[in-house]
Amino acid sequence: MTREQVFKDLTEIFWDVFDDEDIVLTDATTADDIEDWDSLEQINLVVACEKKFNIKFDMKEIQNLKNVGEMVDTILAKL
Amino acid sequence: MIPSWQNYNKIMNKYKFKDLRVGMYEEFKITINPEMLKDFRSVTYDVNPLHNNDKYAQSKGYPGRVVYGMLTASFLSTLAGVYIPGEHSLIQQVETKFVNPVFIGDQLTVRGEVTELFESVQRLTLKVTITNQDDVKVLRGKMDILVV
Repeated sequence: MTREQVFKDLTEIFWDVFDDEDIVLTDATTADDIEDWDSLEQINLVVACEKKFNIKFDMKEIQNLKNVGEMVDTILAKL
Repeated sequence: MIPSWQNYNKIMNKYKFKDLRVGMYEEFKITINPEMLKDFRSVTYDVNPLHNNDKYAQSKGYPGRVVYGMLTASFLSTLAGVYIPGEHSLIQQVETKFVNPVFIGDQLTVRGEVTELFESVQRLTLKVTITNQDDVKVLRGKMDILVV
């Protein structure tokens, strides 16, 4: 799977979790850029990614993610 | 009889995340009495006549007043907080459908079955159902619960 495909799939996960298809992700997008991105939705994003990509994160990885770009790279490394 | 919260250790499960498996379930029974509707009304100020006036409810085609759906759903709090996972529960989100009406005197069976486990975030998903004494589903839904 290419980085572009992961990015596209992750964008759809964001649309679904936040129920907002206007969200446009970049590598630099953080929780500060999306109004409802709180700790609950962070967990929902992690769970949705694990299901979509059939991967498992560990707690440290999740805590260390700084932005969407790092999320994409972490997912790619597990595929 | 309402259990004393000070004695919760006697009745409460204390599952940790590592103790949980997909397919595990817990259930308990509760009978709806008029006091419960009165107490719910006192807390919520929901004075809608469908829940408070038998004649009104009968005029709508029901045998008597209908139990608040949210009162029925409130037992999901007990399911998670006392039964599965119990003490270490933190409810994150709940989806419910009220698929049939509940009436005073109904004996409900509240059941939750683990359908998914997410170790990275220590979260479980419960498929929840509440059925009445005739084995008719009155509520079904899903709960996402952290084990803290």
